[in-house]
Order: sequence, then structure tokens, then C-alpha cells
Amino acid sequence: MSAHQSLSATSAPRRRSINAAGQAAGLWWLSDTAGAVLFAACLAAFIASWTAEALTAQAWGLLAGIVTSGLLRAGVQAMAGLSGQRTATRAKSDLRRRVMAALLPSGQLRGRLIGEDLRVAIDDVEAHEGLIARFQPLRLAAMLSPLIIAVAVAFASWFSALILLTTLIPFGAGMALAGLAGKAEADRQFLALSRLSGLFVDRVAALPAILAFGAEDRVARQIGGAAREVAARTMQVLKIAFVSSAMLEFFAALSVALVAVYCGFSLLGLLPFPAPEELSLGEAFFALALAPEFYLGMRRLAAAYHDKQQGQAAERSVAAALDLVHSVAPTAPGVWPDPISELRAEGLTIRYDDGICIGPITACWGAPGLHVVTGPTGVGKSSLLHALIGLARVSAGRIILNDADVAAGALTGLTGWAGQRPLLLPGTLADNLRLGGNGLEPQDLAHLIAASGLSDLIAARGEDLMIDPRGSGLSGGERRRIGLVRAIASGRPLLLLDEPTADLDPATAAQVIALLKDAASTRLVIAATHDPALIAEATSRVVMA
Amino acid sequence: MIEHLLRDATRRQRRSTAIAIGLAMVAALAGVALLALSGWFLTGAAIAGAGGMASVRAFNYLLPSAGIRGLAIARTLSRYGERLFSHRAALFALADLRPTLFARLAATDPSRALVRSSGDMAARLGSDVDALEDSVVRKVTVPGALAGAAAGLIAASLAGWPAALVLLAGLAAMRVSSRLIAPRLLTQPRQDHAAALNRLKADYASYAACSGEIAVYGLGAQVIAALDPHARALGGARAAIVRGEVLIQGAQLVLAALTVMGVLALADGGAALVALAALAAAATADNWSALARTDMERLRVCDAIERLETLATLPARQADGAITSETGGITFIIDGRPHVLQRGERILIAGPSGSGKSRMLGTLIGLRRDAPEGLVVGGQDVGALGLERLRPLFAYAPQDAGLIAGTVADNLRLARPGITEAEMWEALEAACLAETVRSLPQGLAEWLGDNGARLSGGQRKRLALARALLAQKPWLVLDEPSEGLDPETERALCQRLSAWLDRTGTGLVLVSHRSGLHALARQMVTLDSVSA
Repeated sequence: MSAHQSLSATSAPRRRSINAAGQAAGLWWLSDTAGAVLFAACLAAFIASWTAEALTAQAWGLLAGIVTSGLLRAGVQAMAGLSGQRTATRAKSDLRRRVMAALLPSGQLRGRLIGEDLRVAIDDVEAHEGLIARFQPLRLAAMLSPLIIAVAVAFASWFSALILLTTLIPFGAGMALAGLAGKAEADRQFLALSRLSGLFVDRVAALPAILAFGAEDRVARQIGGAAREVAARTMQVLKIAFVSSAMLEFFAALSVALVAVYCGFSLLGLLPFPAPEELSLGEAFFALALAPEFYLGMRRLAAAYHDKQQGQAAERSVAAALDLVHSVAPTAPGVWPDPISELRAEGLTIRYDDGICIGPITACWGAPGLHVVTGPTGVGKSSLLHALIGLARVSAGRIILNDADVAAGALTGLTGWAGQRPLLLPGTLADNLRLGGNGLEPQDLAHLIAASGLSDLIAARGEDLMIDPRGSGLSGGERRRIGLVRAIASGRPLLLLDEPTADLDPATAAQVIALLKDAASTRLVIAATHDPALIAEATSRVVMA
Repeated sequence: MIEHLLRDATRRQRRSTAIAIGLAMVAALAGVALLALSGWFLTGAAIAGAGGMASVRAFNYLLPSAGIRGLAIARTLSRYGERLFSHRAALFALADLRPTLFARLAATDPSRALVRSSGDMAARLGSDVDALEDSVVRKVTVPGALAGAAAGLIAASLAGWPAALVLLAGLAAMRVSSRLIAPRLLTQPRQDHAAALNRLKADYASYAACSGEIAVYGLGAQVIAALDPHARALGGARAAIVRGEVLIQGAQLVLAALTVMGVLALADGGAALVALAALAAAATADNWSALARTDMERLRVCDAIERLETLATLPARQADGAITSETGGITFIIDGRPHVLQRGERILIAGPSGSGKSRMLGTLIGLRRDAPEGLVVGGQDVGALGLERLRPLFAYAPQDAGLIAGTVADNLRLARPGITEAEMWEALEAACLAETVRSLPQGLAEWLGDNGARLSGGQRKRLALARALLAQKPWLVLDEPSEGLDPETERALCQRLSAWLDRTGTGLVLVSHRSGLHALARQMVTLDSVSA
């Protein structure tokens, strides 16, 4: 899975422009080679023409060339960095939108924890940056810059260029072997390392329990032991991983040494084989000054190796998350006749990845009416509600609306939903109550607010009360009722409610039950609940066991 | 303080550090010498070659050419060794630092420590310690760069003191520029970045909890739009950081070029020495610019150190007052009226959400000090007692379970040292979780959390309950132990728990919304005033 693939759902022109921008950074890195050639040429010419006399105008020109090469390299590297960053920012932004759009509505469906989604949608997306901004441009430069350097060297000494290119063969072979060995070792240690290295963070998070049991000394010893084991195992991986960089260093140093020795002996006329070419000091020096640049691109790339590892791990994690979404994604909402007369579940079975199986559930809910689903906690009441709107994986059975089969997720368009925790977007309370749709007259909304017992809140803090995503300043019961009012205000004919009276004191709960009865006079309301008062008012009751 | 701890930890690794520093110096020396010697050899060879056979014969080529090969190998090997030993030193030093920091955090007054113990803080603490690794590894960069600089200066001085002086001035200018610009350009954007990232994560987490509504009302785009300002701020801050970094590095490159130019302009003593000085200067400056990286990283490390400092300097818990009455009873003073609970008795604390039931329990066991009502334990106000006096009395199963990443057995063993497997099963049996654990592929050895089994919320709570049962304390303190349980399991739990309490003579302080467990308690107090 490459970054290109992970951007694959981005629109084609946008993707092309991201790719082009990515190559721009690579080309900037490649142009850095021009600065190196200018530096080597000026230095070689200066040394070759050096005399003990005062500097000539030509010599000053060469010195100016050296400073220019510095300016050039600074400018070009800056452009490379900035352009890579710009590409990465755009790519990350696209990817983040795409990942969030996929993950946000499907959290329940995939059965993942929010923390895991958070890591994918934010941390993993951010972790792409080094790969896109640095590693990929540098890879282009690392592949091409040795060739450019070799060509430049060939103008002065083709044999030196040949020496440089020849070192690539053992270098490539060695790198491949070292890379394989390193990967094998890293894979071997992966699980132990990932478990052990999180230990410290986990134990700090679990400090209250540790303190309550007076286990802090034992846990501190355990952290110490685990940390030392992480260190030892990491060293195992690094020992092999560093062989790659040592190889790079070795060939970088070797290429300088070989060129220096060859050119020196050639200039002395002492080569042990027939001289392949006639070298001047200027030419020889140019070749020598460029020799360290031959492996520079690859050394830069190796320095960005961490970026690559991080980025690819993030790509795998994002791809796995998106694959999971796509494998379970419900179909688009369908168009349904109004009015609804009946919703049925026939042998509906929900199966989760971990093998937990819910159902088969058979039920018939007539509209309008207030229906409850009860049953022991964990039996799958929420799962059933989620299955009805395609947010839980149905492995068998049918959902039938007015005698027509419903595909997974097709009911979302006619469902008003109030879950355990309502969504609160930044904006006023009124905006938030209208998130389910804006069709309601202000007086009707005011009526709903009063009927749900939220009027105290409005009276105290006003309809323009600004809400933040965490619902600061709202109680659990108030938040729950915001979700409920929103669902009713959405005007949709089917209401699915998860524990609508939880977190409420008996008086408020009674008020909410009255409101639900009222809503159920024109709608099909299905509520999962434990509340005996609500169960008592229901037209039908499905008991799950 | 943290610097002190870090110094102590690195001191234990001083052999590795010393070897790493030595090798870093050898590597830098060899790197500079390789280029300088090559330049000198080449130019000398050209001059000798031009002077005819006699001067070729007079030119000692064997020594320099062998030297060049030797330096190439020395540079490679020393770099490899430097990397290995510097990482060894850093990794093992931090391995010593982590438990020390944890012990500090655990030894302070819990009301102080627990303010910062949310998962987010913990994660940050983890990455802050990781940031120190970089600083320890980079410790060898400075001696390495200095050794390279010394080699460069000696090489340049062979071409006369003015050349050496120019090199010295150039290196100084490189340091000054990077030290001056780095904090100016990077401090603010780094802070902005951290702030934007935190806001983005906090808001995302809030929205992600509402997937049903997002799916049903099609609110994905609206949620993404609501997150967009934070995402933009994040991108802007990263861009500013990169701008700062390329400026700092660009300045290094320009100053390096100026330095080489200066050395060339002032070097004397023959073309061969000029070549030697110029290449030595170029290699030295290149080495030297690695220090600019350290300057950029230093800001990150400084932030981390600052945060860790607040942790490292946390004061240790004060000695606690003594329990005056030996009966070990608890008195709840609700609205000025005392409710006395003798050892072995059971009480339910009722009250609407927000009335402070969890705070009451937390205060009772000494983890916090903000109970809404008065609490007296063993004749002494709990405020005067502390964690040390209170925790031997209470076994606590918190509302959020408070499990650790580890196996089922790891979690149970937290209760006290020396728990046998048989005891574990007994406790799991009492907590109605034995069957679940038996069905796990690895049973007690099953890993919970990442890459492991996922227990439901109710199962996690019962595991926390089993752990509390194992602690063998006079009182059991349970915060909503049956939340997320079906009535049937709840009934079974109630029975088994009751039998367990009878058998062991343990007292019970229970907070539960649900009526299923109310039969456990024979007394009840109600907190009715909702206080902030």
C-alpha cells in the first residue's frame, strides 16, 4: 500500500496535482546536485590555478562561485523542504477528510473503540507527513542524483565515474541483505516491544487503582523490568538496523578513498595498470570533491528512514481501517413510501468479528406506536437498533418495511435517532436541536422543548446558549434530552431511541415518557430500555434473551 | 530536578556513553581527515607528477594512500559503534528513569497526582520521556562535532593561522546564527502545533461517540467542517515549523560556503596545503551543522523537560494522622447527622447523579479530598488521615474499572502480593466472571487491551470487583459494580457477593443506581444536594 493508493479516492485532478507537487519537491532535491557541482568545479579550478601570488580576478570569481553554491544549495533545499511540506499538508488534509468521513458514521458498525479511531484519523494521518514531505521526494533524488554526479564526474574523469558506479553493486547487494535481516528481527520483536513499551503510559493512567491497592512499589519494579527489557530488545533490532547505515557510510567513505587513490596514482603516473585517461589536477580534484556527493542522496534518504517506517505503518493502519469500513459499509439510503404501516425483523442475526452473535430476532412493530425492546444488558438491544439502520453487521435474516425488503442502511433517511450520547456541534442550543433537519416551526420546537423539560435550561441560559462539543455545563440528562428533541424535531417517521429515560430523575422521566407517547401517536417509536415506567406505556415489548 | 534524575540515570551508563563519545570523536576526526588527506595527496601527487620522475620518487605516496583507506574504514566502524553505544546508553538510562518518575508520581499526595493521571496526560508523559532519548543520543553529537572542529582547525592551521582563524570565526558564526534563530522561529509554532493537535483530538473524540446520529442525519460533512479550523491551525503550525527549520539550515549552508571561501582566500603554504585546508574546512562545517539539528530538537526536549520537571518535583505524601478508635467503624455525617457504620456492616449511598457519590468514595479511601459530606473513619476525620492510613482498610472497585494493560492475572495480582491461582478463580467465581475467563483462549493468561481480548464494560467492572475481593481488606467499596449488567447476572452477582461478604465478615460501602444490588445493603444514606 503506497501513499498513492491511500489517496486513491481523492479526485483525479487533485491527486495528479498532489503527485506533481510531490515530484516538485523531489526535483528541488535533485537540483541540489547542481550546487554541489558548482562548488566542486570552483574549488578544483581554484586549487589547480593556485599560486602564492595575490588572488587574481579570476580566483575571486571562483571564490564568488563557492559562495553562490552555498546560496544555491540553501535556497534549493529550502524550496525542497517547503514544497514537500505543502504537498504533505494537502495530502494529509485530503486523507483526513476521507478517513473521518468513513470512520465517523461507522464507529458502531466496526466495533472499534473511539481511541483507536482517534489514532487512525488524527495521529496516523499526521504520521504520513514525513513520508510524503521528505522520504518520497528524497527517494527520487536518491535514485537520480548518483547518476547525475557520475555524469558530472565523467566529464573530468570517466574512470572515476566508473569507480563510483561500480561501488553501487556491492552496496546494493549489502543493503538488500541488511534490510531483510533488519526487517526479520524487527518483526520478531514487534509484539513484545509494542506491549512492553506502552506499559509505562498505561500504568500512569491506571494510577488510582494502583494507589488504592498500595501496589506502587511492585508496579514501579515491573515498569523498570519492562523498560530494561524494551531496551535490550530494541538494541537487538538496532544492532542489525545500523548495519545498513554502516554499509552506506562504508561505501561513501570507500568511494572517496578509491577516487583519491586512483587520481593520486594517476597523477603520479604510478598506476599498476595502463592509465585509462590523462588527468589534470583540476579534473582530478573535481572528481574528488564530488565523490562524497555520490552517496549523499542515499544518506539523506537513510536519515529519513524513520519517516518512511512511521508513514508506512500509518498507511497500513489507515488502509486496514478503511478496508474494514468498506467491507461493512451499508448501502445508501433508499426512498420509502409514506406512511409507514409496519416494520418487521425476521430472524435477524447480528454477528461481530469477535464471534459474538446476537439473535435471531423476530419482531413486528406496527406504526404508529410506542414499542420497547428489553432484555439483559449486553444481550444486544443497542445492536438491534443499530442493525435496523445498517450500523451493525447483519449476517442473516430480513428487515421488512411495509412488506418490502430493506437493504442494510437503507432506513437511515427516515430514521430519527437518539443514542446514549447525543452529538453536540459548536453552535447555539437551537442549532443543535435542529441538526436532524430544519423543517420545524419555531413554536413547535418551543413546544417540544417544554414537553421534554428542557425549558428550565432555556429559561436559565437562553436558546442562544453556545454549546461546545463536550457539552460542558450540561448534565447527562440534559444532553440526552437534546438528542431526543432533535430526533423528534427531525420529523422522521421512525424513531430509534437507546435508553431515552436513563440519567433522568423519576419526574423528568415521566415527562419524557409522556412526550414519547405523544410522538408515538404519529410515528413508529422503538426504544431500547430497562425503565419499567416506559415499558408499562409501550404498545409492544420485545424481550431479548 | 529532572535534569538531576536524568544525570543519575545516564551516569549509570557512563561506560557506554564514554565509548560512544570516543567513537563519535574518532568518526568526526576520521571524516575530516579523510577529505583533507585526500585533497592534500591528490594535489601533492599532481605537483610531484608534474615535477618528473625524481620528484615522484621523492613523494611518499604509500603512507597517505594507506592512510586514506585506513581512515575510510575507521570512519565507518566508529560511526557504527557510536550509534550502537549512544543508543544503548540512552535506552538503558531511560529504562532507569521511567520507574523513578513513576515512583515520584505515586509517592505524592494522590489528590495532586491524580489531577494529571488521565490517559491523555499519561500518553504525554510517555512521549516526554521518549523525547529525552533523543537528547541523550545527541549528547555525543557535541563532542563529535568538537573533535571534528579541532581536526579541521589543525588542518587549516597547516595552511597558516589566518585560514584557521577564518574557520574558527565561521564555525562560531554558524553556532551563533542557529542558537539565535532557532528559539525565535520555532517556539511559537511548536506551541501552536501542540494546542491545535489537542483541540482536534478532544473534539474528534466527542463527535466520534455519536456515530448513530452522524449516520442517520448525514452529519459527517458538518462534523468535518466543525473540525476544520483545528485541522487548518495544525497544518499552519507545521508549515511555520518547517519554514523555521529550512531557514536555520539554509543559514548554516551559506555560512559554511562563506567559511570555505574565506579559508581558500587566506590559506597559504602551497597548493597541496590549500587543498587540504579547504576540504578540511568543508568537511568540518558539514559536521558542525549537525549541531543546528540539536538546537531545533532542544526546544522540543526543553518542553518535555519542563513538563517532567513538574512531575519530578512533586512533594512526597506527608505523614498521616493516626486512627484513634480501634473499632474501625465509619461515620458518614450527612446534613450534620451522623450515620455510624460498624465493622462488617453494609451501607448503600444513594443520590442523583452529580450529588458526589463517587467523590465520597474517593475521599473515603484517601484518593481525593473533596467529599460533599463529612466522613470519619476510626474516630478520626478522613481529611486528617491519608492514603497510607485509609487504604489498608478499603478494597476499591472504581466506576471506570481501572484495569491495567496486561493479562487477567496481572490485573488480579494488583490487589496484593502472593495471590494464588485458586484464589483468583474463587474471586472470579464470586464476581460472576469465572465462566467468561474460562472461555478466553488463554484463560487467566489472556492479554486484555490492545492486541488482546476485548472485555465489555460490564465484564471489566466485574474483573475490577474480583480484584477488590482478592485484596482482603475489612471494607469493600464498590462504585456502580453492576452498571451494564443484565438483571439475571445482577441477581446472581448480588447473591454471590452477599454470601462472600457474610463468609468473610467484610463491610460494604456501595454506590449503585440500580435497585438490583440494593438488597445487599441494610442501611442507606442519601446525598441529595447536587453540588458542583
